[in-house]
Amino acid sequence: MAVAGSWQPPRPCEVYRAEWELCRSVRHMLHHYYVHGERPDCRQWLRDLASCHEWEESRSPEAQRSLCESEQARVQAAQKHTLVWALRQGPPADWNLPLPQKDK
Amino acid sequence: MAAAPGGGGSGPAAGEPLLQRHDSGQGSPEPPAHGKPQPGFLSSLFTRDRSCPLMLLKTLETNPYVKLLLDAMKHSGCAVNEGRHFSCEDCDGNVSGGFDASTSQVVLCQNNIRSQAHMSRVVTHELIHAFDHCRAHVHWFTDVRHLACSEIRAASLSGDCSLVNEIFRLHFRLKRHHQTCVRDRAVLSILAVRNISREEAQKAVDDVFESCFNDREPFGRIPHTKMYAQYAHRDFQSRHRYYSNI
Repeated sequence: MAVAGSWQPPRPCEVYRAEWELCRSVRHMLHHYYVHGERPDCRQWLRDLASCHEWEESRSPEAQRSLCESEQARVQAAQKHTLVWALRQGPPADWNLPLPQKDK
Repeated sequence: MAAAPGGGGSGPAAGEPLLQRHDSGQGSPEPPAHGKPQPGFLSSLFTRDRSCPLMLLKTLETNPYVKLLLDAMKHSGCAVNEGRHFSCEDCDGNVSGGFDASTSQVVLCQNNIRSQAHMSRVVTHELIHAFDHCRAHVHWFTDVRHLACSEIRAASLSGDCSLVNEIFRLHFRLKRHHQTCVRDRAVLSILAVRNISREEAQKAVDDVFESCFNDREPFGRIPHTKMYAQYAHRDFQSRHRYYSNI
């Protein structure tokens, strides 16, 4: 987390609102059901939106803690599966090498 | 080469012959399979004002899926140069394109790409393979599980298995059908480039599905429509702020 005094919500409040509104839209409900076979749970986006507004209004430590915990949980959920492959330390060495000449 | 089964419309049926491009040489070398172009009269009318290079350029400049992938690849050290990393070619069979890891090049089958929307989807699909090649040691030719993983991701994240595209293919199931589509199209793509049995391909997909289906990089979500891709691109561009404040 950023140094106290320089911290800001991980996302602008308007982004939390946009994500909440997208989540609860009929279109997203259809997409989510198509992928997961169930309705989406959009409550956390609403909680985060409220925390974001609370932070903007009063710099509430509780709001900051709530947002950090929520986003850390999202990151952990995205990373919980072991990758099939090993990640590189740098790009492939031959990424920009000239193409081989084609035989005529 | 990782391949994209042809079609946002009917698509290839299981078992139809698909394009195989020249192998890297790590496995058994395969002769190039570029046949003579055989466009139908009607299709040539449809695409005569939409050349592959022009459609590619429009995709690269405007499509939010592709713009995010290009940014992510640049961030990983694999800046994409249109002239170097893309090639419009005529291909045999019904395949729409492929990624050749041996030359770091995306092949676009200009005789099988029917529209701007199709071009965008094929480019997205192949750039996902390129992105995986850029960020990870993908054993394309020696580990079918690695190939399966990239094909699962490409089928899931490119729009190949969107609800609309599946309806066009006359697949009308809804509940959790996206995952069925991803599994099926990943198997098709593997069979297009590997001389293995359907059972072997299916097993590879099943073995890695849980991990690879849930690997949503660089989107962070399944981009069901351009709006989702735009949101994902916004998040990617704001990642410094995000990770600095959690």
